[in-house]
Amino acid sequence: MRSIPSFAKEIETRMAQKQPLLEIKNLSVGFDTNRGLIRPVREVSLSVYPGQTVALVGESGCGKSVTALSILRLIPQPPGRVLGGQINFEGRGNLLDLSEKEMRSVRGKDIAMIFQEPMTSLNPVYTIGDQIVEAVTLHQGVSTRKAYEIAEESLNDVGISDPHRRLREYPHQMSGGMRQRVMIAMALSCKPKLLIADEPTTALDVTIQAQILELLRKLQRERGMSILLITHDLGVVAENADVVGVMYASRVVEFATVEDLFDHPQHPYTEGLFKSVPKLGSRAERLETIPGMVPNPMRFPAGCKFHPRCHRTRACAVAVESGQAIFPAGTNIPKEIAAATDSEGQRFSVLKKCATDEPTLREVKPQHWSACHVTENFEQSPASVPQLDHRREVVPMIVDEGTITV
Amino acid sequence: MSIEQAESSQMLAAAAAEPAMPPPARSLIRQAYHDTLASVLARIGLAWLFMLAFFAVFAPFLADSHPYVMKVNGRWSSPALIHLTPADVLLLIATATVVVLAIWRRLSFLRSLGLIAAVVVVAAAPVYLLVRPPVNVDYSQYRDDLASGKIQKAIFAPVPYSPRDRLRDQPEARLEKPSRRHWLGTDTNGADVFSLLLHASRIALSIGFIATSISVVIGVLVGAVMGYYVGTVDLLGMRAIEIFEAIPQLFLLITITALIQDRNIYVMMAVIGATSWTGYARFLRAEFFTIRKLDYVQAAVAAGLPTRIILFRHMLANALTPILVSTTFGVASAILYESILSFLGIGLVDEASWGAMLQQARAGGAGFVLWIAIPPGAAIFLTVFAYNLVGEALRDALDPKLRKRD
Repeated sequence: MRSIPSFAKEIETRMAQKQPLLEIKNLSVGFDTNRGLIRPVREVSLSVYPGQTVALVGESGCGKSVTALSILRLIPQPPGRVLGGQINFEGRGNLLDLSEKEMRSVRGKDIAMIFQEPMTSLNPVYTIGDQIVEAVTLHQGVSTRKAYEIAEESLNDVGISDPHRRLREYPHQMSGGMRQRVMIAMALSCKPKLLIADEPTTALDVTIQAQILELLRKLQRERGMSILLITHDLGVVAENADVVGVMYASRVVEFATVEDLFDHPQHPYTEGLFKSVPKLGSRAERLETIPGMVPNPMRFPAGCKFHPRCHRTRACAVAVESGQAIFPAGTNIPKEIAAATDSEGQRFSVLKKCATDEPTLREVKPQHWSACHVTENFEQSPASVPQLDHRREVVPMIVDEGTITV
Repeated sequence: MSIEQAESSQMLAAAAAEPAMPPPARSLIRQAYHDTLASVLARIGLAWLFMLAFFAVFAPFLADSHPYVMKVNGRWSSPALIHLTPADVLLLIATATVVVLAIWRRLSFLRSLGLIAAVVVVAAAPVYLLVRPPVNVDYSQYRDDLASGKIQKAIFAPVPYSPRDRLRDQPEARLEKPSRRHWLGTDTNGADVFSLLLHASRIALSIGFIATSISVVIGVLVGAVMGYYVGTVDLLGMRAIEIFEAIPQLFLLITITALIQDRNIYVMMAVIGATSWTGYARFLRAEFFTIRKLDYVQAAVAAGLPTRIILFRHMLANALTPILVSTTFGVASAILYESILSFLGIGLVDEASWGAMLQQARAGGAGFVLWIAIPPGAAIFLTVFAYNLVGEALRDALDPKLRKRD
C-alpha cells in the first residue's frame, strides 16, 4: 500500500503536468441501422487536463453519452463503429489502437466510469463487497484479504457508515443514493486518473444529488483525478465544471472555461440554453425556449445543424432582406438568404451560408472555441483541438446566518 | 374494551416489543432451498431421493454375498470390505465429505460443491492405486462353506446376495417367486431381484447426475457464447442446434450406443449428456440476450473485468434460475433414457439396471414376470416423479412470478 505522502506527491506531479490527460481529436462514431448509417458523434474534439472537471452538456441524444462510452471503447460493435479520429490518453497512446486486452487494463484502472442508474448498475446477486473486491484484486494484484481492506476504506471514503457491515450487504438493501456512493467507491477503489461520470445524479433526489456532487468534488481534490462529467443540468455544470463543452447534434459547438461560457456565450445554441433556465429573482410570464426540436440523426439538416432553430441566423436573414445587414467583423458571409422549415413545418428565411456550410469548431477568442458562422473573427480563427488548462478557484463556502454565499 | 381493540392493542404491544428489523439477507441459493423445502410434495420427493441416495451409496453393505465379518480357522476377516471396488471407496469418501459439510455448515453451497469435487479428484489416484479387490470372486462359496462348517461364524448383509451372484450352479433358483430367502424373487439368471434393485439405484442416480452435468456444461458454454456475442456466432450456433434437434434424441442415442462396442457406465453418461444439451443452450442464450444489455454488465465491462468473468460470474449467476429448474427435469429424463436403452438391450452390459431388469421380466417367456417387472417399474416411476416434484417446487421458489396464487 502506498503511503499517503507519496500519493500526495503523485497528485502534485499529476497536477503540475502541462500535457492533457485525455485528448480526443476529430472522433466520429457511426451506428449501422437498417435505415442506413447514423452518426451520433461527428468530429468531436476536446481535452481533459489532470485534476480538471470537464463537463459535456447537451440535450438528450446529442451524442454526449456515446462520446463517453467510446473513450472506454464500450460502444456495442456491431452495430457501432468508430469512423475516425484519435483518443489519446496519457501514457497509453491512442486508445483506439490498443488491443482488447490492453484496453481491459485501461478500464477501471486508468479510466473508471459511473453510470446514470445506480439502481441497476450493481449486480443483484453479489454483495457489494464481492463486487468491489473483484475489481481491486484484478487491477491491483493484491490478496483477497487486502482487497477487502481497500474496499472497506473506499466505502468509508464515500461516506458510507459502518462500511464493514455494508460490505456484506446486497444492493437491494440500499437506497439509490447509497448505491451511487457504492458505484463511486468501486470506481475510485483503483485510484483512476480519469473518472467518466455519465449523468451521475439524474436518477437521484435533488438533496442526494448535491451530496453526491459534493462528494465527487471532495474526492477529486483529495486525489487529483480528472472528471469528465456528462450532464444536461446547467446548474450541475455551473457548480462543478472547470471547462465546459456544449454538444449539439453530435458535435461540440462551444468549448470554454465555465466562467467565460456563462458570462459570454458565443454560440446561439448556448445562448438559447441559458435563456431557457429560470432565473431566481426575475419574474417572467413565460420561460423562453429554443424553438423546434433536436433533429433526428437520420435526417440531419444540411449546413449548420442548428440553423432551423437558430435565432441569430433568422435575425440576420431579416436584416439582409431589409438591406441593413451588418455582420460581425472577421466573418465572411455572403448576403444571401435561403428558405428553411422548422420541425413544425413553419417556413422562414435563414442565411444561405448557415443552410449550406457546416461550421467547424474554431478558437474565436483566446481560450474560447465556438462553431457558428455569425461569430466575430470566425473566418480568421484557427480550427484547433480545444485545450484549456484551467481550473476554477476553490472558494470556500461561507455560511452566514442561514444563507449560503459562495 | 371490545375484543377487536384488545387484539389490536396486543398486536401493538407485540410490535413494540419486537422492533421492526429487516430480515437478514440470504443468498439466492439459500432462499431457494428454504422455499423449496416449504412445499410438502417437494419434501416427499426429496425424501425418496435421499433414500435412493442412501441405497446407492451403501448398496455393497445392504446387499452383498460377502459376509461383513467371518471367522475361518479362528481368524477373523472381512470379505465385504476386501471386495469393495475403488469406485465404491471413492463414493464412500465423497459421502463422508458431504456429511461433514452438512453438519459443519460453514461453507457456501458453491464452495461446498467445489470442495467435494476437489476431495474426489485428490482421492481418486491413491484409491485406484491402493484398493485392489480380488479379481476372481466366488459368491456362493461363503454359503456353502458356512453350511459345511468351514466358516465358523459369519455376519451377513440384510440381503445376502450380490446382484452378480447368479447361482448359476442352481438352475432351480431361476425365476423363483418371492419367498423368505429371496424377498422379491429371482430373475431369469437366478439373481436376487431385491439386490438388483438396490444396486441399480447407483446406475440410475449416477447416470442422472453426471449425464445432466455434462449436458449443462456443454449447454451453458454454447448458450453463453451465443447469447453474449450475438450476430454471426449466434446465427451459426442456433442453426447447429436446430440441426441437432431435428433428429429425435432417442434415435440419436440408439444410433450412437449401437456403434459403440464397449459400453460401460461412463460411455453411457457421456452419450446421454452429449445428446441433451440443446435445451440448456437455448435457455441460457435467451436469458443472456436480456442480461447483456443490463447496466451492471456494462459496468462490469467498464471496470475492465475479463470477458470470461463477466460471462460466467456476473451474467451466469443471474441466468441460473431456469437452468437450475430444467436440470432437475433433465436428471429425470436422463434416468428414463438410460432405462429405455437398457430395456432395448443396448444399454449397460452386465450391470444391474432398472431398464435391464424390465427386459429380464419380459424375457421370462409369456408376458411379464410380475415380481421382476413391478419393482424396477415402480422405482423408475417414483424416481422420475420425485425429480419432477422437486423441480416444480424449485421453479416456484426461484420464480415467484410463476407461483400459483391460492
